Amino acid sequence: MKTRRRSDSPSVPTPVARPIRKVLIANRGEIAMRVVRACQELGIRSVAVYSDADAHAPHVREADEAVLIGPAPASESYLNGEHLIAVAKAVGADAIHPGYGFLSEREWFARAVRDAGLIWIGPPAEAIAAMGSKTAARTLAIAAGTPVVPGTTEALRDAAEAAGIAARFGYPVLLKAAAGGGGKGMRVVREPGEIAAALASAQREAKNAFGDDAVYVEKYIEGPRHVEIQVLADMHGNCVALGERECSVQRRHQKMIEEAPSVAVSPELRKRMGDAAVAAARAAGYVNAGTCEFLLAKTGEFYFLEMNTRIQVEHPVTELVMGIDLVQWQLRIAAGEALDLTEVPQPSGWAIECRITSEDPANGFLPSTGRINYLHIPSGPGVRWDGGIVVGSVVGLSYDPMLAKLIVSAPTRDAAIARMQRALRELVIDGVETSREFHLRVLADEEFQRGAIDIQWLESRLPSLLASAPSAETVRAAAIAAALIADRERGSAAGAATAASHPRNTGADAAATEWARAGRLDALRNA
Amino acid sequence: MKYLVDVNGERVEVTLDADGVTVDGTRELAHLADVEGTPVRLVTIGGVQHRVIARRSGARGSYALWMDGWRFDVEALDERTRAIRELSESKQGPAGPAPVVAPMPGLIVRVNVAVGDRVEAGQGVVVMEAMKMENELRAPAAGTVRVVIAVAGVAVEKGTRLVEFELEG
Repeated sequence: MKTRRRSDSPSVPTPVARPIRKVLIANRGEIAMRVVRACQELGIRSVAVYSDADAHAPHVREADEAVLIGPAPASESYLNGEHLIAVAKAVGADAIHPGYGFLSEREWFARAVRDAGLIWIGPPAEAIAAMGSKTAARTLAIAAGTPVVPGTTEALRDAAEAAGIAARFGYPVLLKAAAGGGGKGMRVVREPGEIAAALASAQREAKNAFGDDAVYVEKYIEGPRHVEIQVLADMHGNCVALGERECSVQRRHQKMIEEAPSVAVSPELRKRMGDAAVAAARAAGYVNAGTCEFLLAKTGEFYFLEMNTRIQVEHPVTELVMGIDLVQWQLRIAAGEALDLTEVPQPSGWAIECRITSEDPANGFLPSTGRINYLHIPSGPGVRWDGGIVVGSVVGLSYDPMLAKLIVSAPTRDAAIARMQRALRELVIDGVETSREFHLRVLADEEFQRGAIDIQWLESRLPSLLASAPSAETVRAAAIAAALIADRERGSAAGAATAASHPRNTGADAAATEWARAGRLDALRNA
Repeated sequence: MKYLVDVNGERVEVTLDADGVTVDGTRELAHLADVEGTPVRLVTIGGVQHRVIARRSGARGSYALWMDGWRFDVEALDERTRAIRELSESKQGPAGPAPVVAPMPGLIVRVNVAVGDRVEAGQGVVVMEAMKMENELRAPAAGTVRVVIAVAGVAVEKGTRLVEFELEG
């Protein structure tokens, strides 16, 4: 690893190294559990916080201490930053870990934690601010030499100007209304001959829809993948890229399945993307774990989108292929430790994560609610479960529908897919509808198996995935199972119900028992 | 005992005897066992085991069934019960498509249909907000809107009827 002192970063107060003995975890669900585990392995005490709705949640029972912070609505509990800081002070915590979501990327909260004399386990408030808005992050990335999607920032004057810029970017280009949204005032232009007419209609549409006919032009990236680079930076000026994650399988911009590495990234490309991510992170004065998101075009060109200034949901796939504990490193970096990576590690093997959510894929992914009656967690080689539910957990509508993450690793992508299919079949969650069957359909899909995915893939493939039907043999087996269950519940003395009173009886055993009974009756008759 | 099982829109005749099952004239050993302390049942058909979870859904014999990585909606009724049920259904005349009900508690954001509107199967009729996400509720089958109960801006409980339909024609 090449290290370089930060010289050109914004004026960021130099963080001071202080030991961390007790961490307040300002989050819930699986990420709170994840932080509890990291703390326990580092010998740090953990303090869980919880709302009324989470009194029986696993993170509450696994942490060393737990504090009730308010009613179920997040605005009155997990988003009440001032109260969380007061609780941290009251329990004698010296640091706050925000997890992801909730307050994790609020600049004011990071600043308030620091001002309260507590350690913020995350990047400096100034770095959050620098990466906070897409336009600010874009300006920063351009200054750092990190490629962004080429585009104009001034409204186009006329078709001649548009044609000139398009020629510079290369076709296709996208005309985009400045005030735009919902696809209105947007046109993809594939050749110079189309641009004048497309600009006129985009301007007309923008004028009608938004009362403003300002139209920009940017390079249109066709069928891009979402590839992101994990970054770790310490407060001593070391910053390292830890390879990529491919997160192209998305529905409505929500990631569903993530993997590391990406089929589309060669070691050479990984190096270039890693360097670009590190440059952007350094420009922001970044410290701790963060992620630079890129669009990766079919041509191999990549473009910076934004930086997520927190630990991410999908961090485990990086941990598994890089052999590194990112959450432990978050704590160690925050305490002032220097990264000890002497060279940039290369990914080894393949890891895949499926987000297990309480959404019903057969019903438009509507959130499903209920009580977890039974949970069987898959295990065995290469299987990891980062979960936030236990038997008895009540899944409501107050929070995010993600119940757990199922992660597998294996030597190759094919083996990882096979392992994930095995693990998903082992998984049983009774009480709410889940995304389990959806994941099984995706993993069985031929295009997914080839890695032929981009950010539009799932949306276009979803209808056929959801319409796919089981084999005739499976349908027949389901019919038989249904008849056996209905017969049992009917309380019928006849039929297969008799065998059921001997749970592990095989059919053959049951038959043998009948013969034995007949034999005994015969013997009695003859006596 | 003969069962008529509707599974994924297909009807399968399943005849149970003391320790086996006959479907389409082929008999196999079959039986059902509970896995103690769990809702999992082990269904063995011709020596092949299937782990099954069944949850009652509505009327007797109706279940959501999870098995071999698939979710099924099934209705298993013995011949006599099936005959009685179909007789009483035919007396009532053909029922319209099932009403759209709130699948969760939430807020009605928008109602996209009015009484008398013709709708296609899968057409969005009501938009609800829950978990900070807008969710579109769709018509289960083609039909005509008979009653609109949902009102935009009103919070509803899970199971509340929102729109009722009648068959086309």
